[in-house]
Amino acid sequence: MKFKAFLTEHGVNLLGRRFLPALDKMGKICHLFLTRDHAIFLHNLLNGDGVQCIAQFRKEALFDDYRISSQNEDRIAFAIDVSLLLRAVRSSVSICTEFGNGPSANRLQIKLVKKLPLNCTQPMPFLTFETKGYKSAVIQDVPISKPLSRAQVLELQTALELAQDIPQTLVRVPDLNQLQNFVERMKQVGDLLNVSISKYGDLHVQISTTLITLGAEFRKLLVIGEQAEAPSDDRNQSAQTRSERAISRGDAQRVQVSVKHFSRSLHCHLAKPDCTFYGIAPHGSCLTVIFQFFIPGTHQTDKSISLHCRLPVLDPGSS
Amino acid sequence: MSSSAVEAEAPDLVCRLDNVQGMVDALSAVRWKRHQDAVVELSEHGVVLIVEDTGCLQAKVYLQRELFVLYEYHAEGRPRFGVSLGLFVDCLNSFSAPGRSSMIEIQYPGPDMQLLIKSVDSLDACIYAEIRTRIPDTISWDYNFEPAGSTPLTFTVKSAALKEAIDDLEWPGSSIQINLQPDPPCITFKGEGHGDLQIDFTYYVNTDLVIAFHCDCQVSYRYKYKFLRATTSNLPSSVIKDNRGSKLTIGRGGMLKVQHLVSVARSATSHPHIGSAGHQQPSRIAYIEFFVKSEVDE
Repeated sequence: MKFKAFLTEHGVNLLGRRFLPALDKMGKICHLFLTRDHAIFLHNLLNGDGVQCIAQFRKEALFDDYRISSQNEDRIAFAIDVSLLLRAVRSSVSICTEFGNGPSANRLQIKLVKKLPLNCTQPMPFLTFETKGYKSAVIQDVPISKPLSRAQVLELQTALELAQDIPQTLVRVPDLNQLQNFVERMKQVGDLLNVSISKYGDLHVQISTTLITLGAEFRKLLVIGEQAEAPSDDRNQSAQTRSERAISRGDAQRVQVSVKHFSRSLHCHLAKPDCTFYGIAPHGSCLTVIFQFFIPGTHQTDKSISLHCRLPVLDPGSS
Repeated sequence: MSSSAVEAEAPDLVCRLDNVQGMVDALSAVRWKRHQDAVVELSEHGVVLIVEDTGCLQAKVYLQRELFVLYEYHAEGRPRFGVSLGLFVDCLNSFSAPGRSSMIEIQYPGPDMQLLIKSVDSLDACIYAEIRTRIPDTISWDYNFEPAGSTPLTFTVKSAALKEAIDDLEWPGSSIQINLQPDPPCITFKGEGHGDLQIDFTYYVNTDLVIAFHCDCQVSYRYKYKFLRATTSNLPSSVIKDNRGSKLTIGRGGMLKVQHLVSVARSATSHPHIGSAGHQQPSRIAYIEFFVKSEVDE
């Protein structure tokens, strides 16, 4: 089992300034799944009750000189502490910029190694960052879990494939900061959030307890996938009536999720996505958030990067 | 749009406010513990919110009708309802977005006697809330504040200094004595408990802290620390920053009245020429009053 690659400058920026800070908010530990073509960061895919978060990079988006080999079709997966990884990437950057001289001088190599730590009898696996500066080299070892077994990798792969279903209707949230602000304040009022999304381009979030109902409705959002014309007589109705009617017509779906999960998914804006879409997976199985990234300077989707979250739906009976 | 429904009766109150944060600040000032039941009283002059604690402490927030950009009052008498203060404040806070003024409309009662709040500044993004109200408890204790003598016993200190003094009195704790003496004019806060602490505000020495002082005879009363603390513990940062005076008056029987002013002006940038020294229009101020009963010596 071997893995060795050089992080490109773009890759370092993507991870250090955008993705790892976002993923760090999703949970301390994630799986890093490396294949011949992709590096994928996965949260909560195997142990299922939290927010699932999947950040997938084509190898060219992060690395050059990418070499991987394993007896399991060149696939390697392990668990890693996101905050340690972030610290390693950030300090490597500071070393590079401090001593770097010319494009070839500041190469940041990462590789999988086994080392015998002090006071240990067993060698342990590490993801090692090696930065060569002008006069010095700095090596940082980020501890990782034992690589996943063939069966576990298969399980991860299956979970990953299952997590790819795309909702029939997606609405685009124009201002993620505004939504996050609102949800952060809403958290004070209750724990369960009703989210309904309609084919007319309405996103309606609501907390309802015995003492209070607090909600926000965002209308006329951009719709991708199945859409419908909003009935004209809905205009003078309240947000709640509108959602009820849309659901009864079959033009909207509603799920209940944890406010904490919802707010956590909004932290993905740290990854600086260009667009954010919310949708409800078929049969209301989960609330999906898809983040879209453009090729810098264009409005074309950067297909080498993808990020999406799946929020588990709570059983209304259990509340 | 809102007039589309033909209603048999107009609600008691429909009002609009363009500075939610100011209202959140004002109401937060009387939030001294997690669960507090408040009574809200509506009148043609404005909205008054009252909270109290064990018959020894009462606080009132006066939101005059001038604070609102629209104030439509239709009720006979003065309708009152009970509401959870914490829930009301947390809910209002959801309407306040940093760096953006947002207009909200408050209506009472809704079809099920709820308090209804909604944002009205955008057609395509709307925040709304319905808060359950209760039949209010009768106020258990009459807080009629009467002056102690012919001239009022009163002093005004900078809000930040008052808060700091009361915070410092925490470690002696339990019971705090407030002493006013006319000659030389001086206010003394004295705590005796786990050690002693005495804080003096001498009128002629601390002219920058003590703004006004009226006292013609020496008086001295004791107050429970936790009630005294409640009068400044949640002062909004805007009050500390503006640092206007807080006015304290001692009435008959040692009843202590503490008054603060909270600015409910639009965002500060819209009136750059107005200084922070309290020259804002009086109509953009919410008044907050605390009444603290003195401890009876046994």
